Amino acid sequence: MIANKPIKKRPKNLNLLTIRLPINAVVSIMHRASGVMLFLMLPAVLWVLQQSLASEAQYLTIASGLQHWAFKLILIGLAWAFFHHFFAGIRHLAMDVHWMTSLQKARFSSRVVLGLVGVAVLVFAWCIW
Amino acid sequence: MLIELLTDRYPGMRQWLTQRLSAVAMAIYTLVLVLLVAIQQPANYAEWHAFFSPWWWRLATLLCWICLTMHAWLGVRDVLKDYVFNVVVRSYMQLLVELALIVDLIWMVTILIKMN
Repeated sequence: MIANKPIKKRPKNLNLLTIRLPINAVVSIMHRASGVMLFLMLPAVLWVLQQSLASEAQYLTIASGLQHWAFKLILIGLAWAFFHHFFAGIRHLAMDVHWMTSLQKARFSSRVVLGLVGVAVLVFAWCIW
Repeated sequence: MLIELLTDRYPGMRQWLTQRLSAVAMAIYTLVLVLLVAIQQPANYAEWHAFFSPWWWRLATLLCWICLTMHAWLGVRDVLKDYVFNVVVRSYMQLLVELALIVDLIWMVTILIKMN
């Protein structure tokens, strides 16, 4: 005979506004988000590369188009996605070989990643503006 | 031990390793790209075209893009598996992703072949 116990309701809290993500989780979820973003932007990247190599006239059209501030902002967004995916990816590779895997070191490397991404985006923005 | 993990008995391990090796290859390509652009500083169409035209650079670009295709295929698949729970919907989304990646790869091949 099976006792007819009421199933204990587990507390569930999936309200993302009340969950404070640890810095490691932030770096990890942004690695995913930036990866998806880069995948979605591939056709745009290919189109720009194609136009820039096709002929001098198309090259000049693309070059002047990219001078517009709105496109520069898009480029900076794309650069952020790339740099975050790049540096956070290197951090994941380091962890794959069991480097910096303790919680304390992982938190430290997360901060390093965010710092490097910030510097890289600023340098990129400074270069194209 | 490592070779054992790469046999047919553990197909996931090969995909895991593919994801990592393609990442390393793309990282190396990117560093070389940034370095070459910093050195040559192509500033007009002729210089930009000359930058891309050596056969070895086009081959490297193609290899990098093949890595990107595999890397994005596995990466987006992992994301879909985590967030799309309906198997039918997920299969169609995965199919769309794969078609897009194939189109992207063919596109890149035509760009690299057509430039002379």
